[in-house]
Amino acid sequence: MTMTSPPRAEAAPAPAEPAGRDPGRARVRMLALSFMGLAHLTVLRQRYKGAAFAAVEIAFLAFVPHLLTRLGGLVTLGEPEPSVPVKFRDNSLFMLVDGVLALAVVAAFAAVYWISVRSALADHRLGTHTRSTPARTQLATMATRAFPVAGLAPTVLLILFFVVVPLVFSALVAFTNYSSPQHLPPGNTVDWVGLDNFGDMLGGDQMWTGALGRVFVWTVVWAVLAVATCYAGGMILAVVLHESKIRVKPLFQAIFILPYAVPAVVSLLVWRNMLNGAFGSVNKTLMELGIIDQAIPWLTAPLLARFTVILVNLWCGFPYFMLLTLSAMTAIPQDVKEAAALDGASGLQRFRYVVLPLVLYQTAPLIIMSFAFNFNNFGAIYFLTNGDPTVADTTVTGAGATDILVSWLYQITIGLMKYNYGSVVAVLIFLVLAPIAIMQFRRTKSFKGDF
Amino acid sequence: MRTDKLASLIWNTVVFIGCVLLSLVVVWPILFTLSSAVSPGRSAAALSPLPFANGFTFDNFAHLFTDTLYPRWFLNSFIVAVSTSIGTLLVASLAAYVFSRFTFTFKGSLLTSMIVLQIFPSFVGMIAVYVVLVRIGALDALWGLVLVYLAGNLPYSIWLVKSYLDTIPKGLDEAARIDGASHFRIFATIVMPVARPILIFLAVTTFAAPWMDFIFPKLVLRSTETQTLALGLISFVSEKNSDFTTFAAGAVIVAIPFMVFFLVTQRTLVTSLSTGAVKG
Repeated sequence: MTMTSPPRAEAAPAPAEPAGRDPGRARVRMLALSFMGLAHLTVLRQRYKGAAFAAVEIAFLAFVPHLLTRLGGLVTLGEPEPSVPVKFRDNSLFMLVDGVLALAVVAAFAAVYWISVRSALADHRLGTHTRSTPARTQLATMATRAFPVAGLAPTVLLILFFVVVPLVFSALVAFTNYSSPQHLPPGNTVDWVGLDNFGDMLGGDQMWTGALGRVFVWTVVWAVLAVATCYAGGMILAVVLHESKIRVKPLFQAIFILPYAVPAVVSLLVWRNMLNGAFGSVNKTLMELGIIDQAIPWLTAPLLARFTVILVNLWCGFPYFMLLTLSAMTAIPQDVKEAAALDGASGLQRFRYVVLPLVLYQTAPLIIMSFAFNFNNFGAIYFLTNGDPTVADTTVTGAGATDILVSWLYQITIGLMKYNYGSVVAVLIFLVLAPIAIMQFRRTKSFKGDF
Repeated sequence: MRTDKLASLIWNTVVFIGCVLLSLVVVWPILFTLSSAVSPGRSAAALSPLPFANGFTFDNFAHLFTDTLYPRWFLNSFIVAVSTSIGTLLVASLAAYVFSRFTFTFKGSLLTSMIVLQIFPSFVGMIAVYVVLVRIGALDALWGLVLVYLAGNLPYSIWLVKSYLDTIPKGLDEAARIDGASHFRIFATIVMPVARPILIFLAVTTFAAPWMDFIFPKLVLRSTETQTLALGLISFVSEKNSDFTTFAAGAVIVAIPFMVFFLVTQRTLVTSLSTGAVKG
C-alpha cells in the first residue's frame, strides 16, 4: 500500500514524458521487475526505500518453502491414514485454512511487488533523488510517504485474516465433502468433490433441493414483507402523528419508540415466551377475555408461525421507519407546503403530491438496505422460533417452516455439521446480496470520485 | 364549517383511540418483562397474564447476583464493548482519513472490496474464524472476540467515516501542511476534531452492538466464566426448564440503560443514520 503517486497536496506531477521512448524507463522497469527494490537501490539512488522493499522480498523468499508446503496441502487436503493415531493424522480443516492463509500471503506479496514497480517508475519520472540527496531527507520523505501504508496496514491485515480468509474458506468448502459423519476432521480427511454439492442442492438430491427451494422462497417473501410492513406501518404512524392535532402527541411518540430501544434479543425472547401455545400470556389473556376458546398455536403451526414472525418483526421494526419518516418530514421546508396550499391544494393533495414524494425520495435507499438486512436477519428467526415448526424434511435437512437462509445455514453447520451444504447456502446468499451491494455502492457519491 | 369541525373531531378521536390501542400492544411485552422480573417463582408458566398481579419481590435480582455469574458476564460484555468501540474508532478513522485524502495504488479495488464485504453476514465464515483463533491462541478469550468484532466492523465504519471526511474541505488540512505539520498531526489535531459527530455516532453504535450479539460469543467463548451477557441471558431460557423470571430480571438491568440512552439520543442517532446512508 505504498504511495506510488504523490499525495495530492505535496507535489504537482511533473510533465509526463512519452512512454516507451525513454530507455531509462525501460531499464528501471526491468530492474524493478527482476528484484523488488533493485531499481531504487541502483539507478534511483534511494537506498532506504530500496532496502525496505528488498527486505520484504528476502523475507518472502525465506518463507517460500513453507508456503509451498501449505499450498500443497491445500491441493491434497491430506491423505487418509487409518493406522495413525487421530492426533497425528492429516487435519484437512487446518490444511484448508492454512492453504488459504498462504494464498493471502502470496497475494499480499504480489500486491507489494506491484506497488514497488509502480513506485520505481513514478520516482524515475519525477527524479526525486540524486546522488547527493542526504540520508535525512530520504528518510523524511519516506516517513511522509509511509503514512498511508501505516494507516491502512491494521485495516488490511484485520480484514484479510478475519473477513476475507474466512469467506474464501467457506466458499472453498462448497467444493469439498467436509461433512458429518464420514468426512469430519481430525478423524477423517476431506476431499475436493468439484461441483457435487451444487449438484445435490440444485436438483440431485430431492430432499435438499426441495428444502433449498422452500427456504429460498420464504426468505425472499420474509424480507419483502418485513420491510414492507415496517416501512408502511412506520410511515403511516409518522404521518398520522405529524398531521394530527392531539395534545399528547409527544407521549405517544415516546411510547412508539420504545421497541427500538429494547435490545432485539430481549424483545424476541420475551415474545417467544408470551406467544407460547401452552402457557404464553397472549393466549391466556385472549382466553380470559373470552375472545378465543382454545389456545392459538402462534409458533407451532407452519403458516401461522410465518405470519407471527412477520408480526413480531413489525413490532420490533416499525419505530425505526417511523423516526426516519418523522425526521424526513420535519426537514421539508415549510414554504414548499405553503406554496402548494396557495395553489389551492387540499390537505390530502399536499400530502400526496408534495410530502410523500419527498419522504419517499429520502427514505428509498434505506428500503434497499433494510431488505439486505432482513434477508440476513438471523436473530428475528432464531430467537423467536429457532426455525420451528418442523416440516416433512426437517429431520434430514434441518430446515424448519420459518427458517430463512441464514438461520438454516446456522442449523446446517452447527446442528447437522454438513459444512459442505452450508457453504453452498452461503454462496447462494452471496449471489443474491452482492448485486444489491454493488448497486448500493454505485449510487453513493463519495465513491464516484475515486475510480 | 360545522361539518369540517365535526369531521376533524371524529378523526382526532379515531386517531387517539388507535394510538391508545397501539400503545397497549407496544407496552404489553415491556410491562410483562418488568412484572416477571419482580414476580416470585422461576417459570413463566405460572404467571398471571395481568401485569404485577403475582406479588412483588426482589428475589430474582438477588438470585441473579448471588447464584449466577451475571456480574461477571456483565463485566465481560463491558470489556468487549469498550475495546471494540475504541479499536474500531482508532483503526477505522485512520484508514478513512487515508482513503479520503490520499491517492495510491489499489485504492479503488480496496474501496470496492470494503463495500462488498460490508454486506456479508459475518458468521458465514465462522468455521474459518474459529480455526484462525485456535491458531493464534485466542479461543475462549475475550480479546479474540474483540478482534473478530473489530475486523467485522471495519468495512462499514471506514465507509461511513470516509463519506463524512469527504465533506470536510481539503483546504483545512492543506493549510496545516504548508505550515509544516506532519500527516499524523493533521489527522489527530485538525481532521478528527471536525469529524467528531460521526465519530461519536460510530463509538455509540459499536459500543452497543456487542452487548446482545450471540453467534460469535457462542462460537469463541467456551467456559462459563468468559461468557458475555447475551449468552448468559439466553442460557436462562433456552434450556427446557425455563428460568424466565431470572431472565427478565437480567434483561431489565441491561435494557433500562439502553432505553434511557436511546430515548435521549434518538434524534441525533437517526439523523446521522439517515444522512450517512442518503448522502453516502
